[in-house]
Amino acid sequence: MPIYAPSLPPKPDLSMGQPPALVIARFDLRRILRQKMGRFFGFVFTMMLIWRLGYVYIYYLKDQNAVIGKMLEAAAPVLSQGAEWHADMLGGWLTYLLWFLVALIGGGLVARDSLYRVRPLMYAHPVKPSDYWIAKLALSALVPFAVLLPFALLPWLLSVGLTGLHGVMWATTPLRLLPAALLIALLMGSVASGASSLASTPRAGIGWVIGVALGLEALGGMLYGLLGSGSWMALSPMSLAAEWPKLLCGSANGVFGWVPAFIGTAGPLALWTFILKARTKPSEAVL
Amino acid sequence: MIKLERASLRYGAVLGLSPTSFELPEGGGIVGLLGPNGAGKSTLLQLLSGLLPPSGGSVEVFGQAPYRNPAVLAQIGLVPEGDRLPVGLKGRGWLRMMGRLSGLDGAPLEAAMAKALDTVGMAERADLPFPRMSMGKRQRMRLAQALMHAPKLLILDEPFNGLDPEARLTLMALLRELADGGTRVLVSSHILSEVAQLTDRILLLFRGRLLAEGGISEIRQLLDRHPVELRLSGEARALARWAVEQPELVALALEESAAVLSIRNPRDFLPRLQKEAAKGGLPLTGLDPLDLNLEAVFQYLTKDHA
Repeated sequence: MPIYAPSLPPKPDLSMGQPPALVIARFDLRRILRQKMGRFFGFVFTMMLIWRLGYVYIYYLKDQNAVIGKMLEAAAPVLSQGAEWHADMLGGWLTYLLWFLVALIGGGLVARDSLYRVRPLMYAHPVKPSDYWIAKLALSALVPFAVLLPFALLPWLLSVGLTGLHGVMWATTPLRLLPAALLIALLMGSVASGASSLASTPRAGIGWVIGVALGLEALGGMLYGLLGSGSWMALSPMSLAAEWPKLLCGSANGVFGWVPAFIGTAGPLALWTFILKARTKPSEAVL
Repeated sequence: MIKLERASLRYGAVLGLSPTSFELPEGGGIVGLLGPNGAGKSTLLQLLSGLLPPSGGSVEVFGQAPYRNPAVLAQIGLVPEGDRLPVGLKGRGWLRMMGRLSGLDGAPLEAAMAKALDTVGMAERADLPFPRMSMGKRQRMRLAQALMHAPKLLILDEPFNGLDPEARLTLMALLRELADGGTRVLVSSHILSEVAQLTDRILLLFRGRLLAEGGISEIRQLLDRHPVELRLSGEARALARWAVEQPELVALALEESAAVLSIRNPRDFLPRLQKEAAKGGLPLTGLDPLDLNLEAVFQYLTKDHA
């Protein structure tokens, strides 16, 4: 058989398109936006946001209207205020529902590609494995961040608009709530995408995310109960998501402190990103 | 275009591909990658399409290692095995994403997509969701995604699986067209007759080893020690009388109007047969090689290496 000297092909023009990670993330985002569950969550989150905005407005009225002011003063013992109230902008049922939303969306992000064997096709294009996992992680974190962003900003903007920087909400509220929202989103995104990479179907992926979140919450709660230290609750991503706004707003009602929160956040972030990276290697993408 | 030098791949303790060396030159044409299930075809395709690095030796495609190499991957189109396409998606949207992953965008992307869809005959039906497409149409969509960036090397893993005969013929015609247009097409299959219809150039894999490469006839020449079966039609007894005098004869069977000979060294035997028939010394009306096909080649070679 004749031997031919290998020759280099002309260098392909890869500059025309967008970065592969952005292409993958945009494609998945469009798929998410087409899903009908957005209507339900959109309605619920909008109602929660209106409730919080209403809260800000009522506090504003307290200073403007003597009757309402007296009523609110009477109700003051049962109304949360101060740091707790600020932290609550990103807390309560909002984070629980958000975990559910992230599980539904993020749980299928990688698992769906595993089920339909999309990764071999992607990797056979000029796509690096890092493009793939960064896209999945970024999108899993972007969704909760996009939901949390109006909760972190709109009440503050309303407060500033009504009464200026010395109004109902602290002037520094965005500096406290935006980092909290980012940490919560990264935590949720890493758990969701990492757990999804362990599953072979989207449903199993959703189960993995919910299972990991609830399982670690139960484990943290058990250890807390047995050993009496609230720091064990930092094992739970759900507790961490609830705790960060409190820590950053300076609430005294936190279950654990800064050190467990940092360790508890860095650990899952590193672990689940490592799992995601390992499970989406080209060698895992068998033909 | 493709050069393997003692390239091997291990999956832990399991050897997926023994050290294998071969070369395919630049230019169009179809090469069949043949072997039973588990022979190492998909492993070899994974090495060539840059999904895995070799455990040993080297793999070069277009003069470079393909593993995680965008410059090489941009020249390769891959059609993986299987019929799994994401549900809930329309063909065109999926193609657009695949085109973008190849670095296309905007008007060039739309033009490349239109051309690829036209090539595979799916221009009218690309807006259907995947579950509403037949298996043949889905296979064409998979082929379209591999063609959009005009690859020089097209790799298809078991592309005929599950296709009905008509879709199979359509796909074969399409692959021939692409090969004639200068694309090197590498097709894997475990069904020998399919590849025999498509090309005479094969790589034969068995249990992770490359058993043979070349044209079917070239490989057949490697097998001179194996007898070839020929059916000589005509007066069976007269043909048999002549055949028993030939030194290449191994076995003889008589049929009603034919003699089935099993012979060695057909390159010596056939010219003599032709000469004898031309002289009029043989009542010969027809000659059919019974096992000069891929099936026979495959059986002989695998029998030797089993």
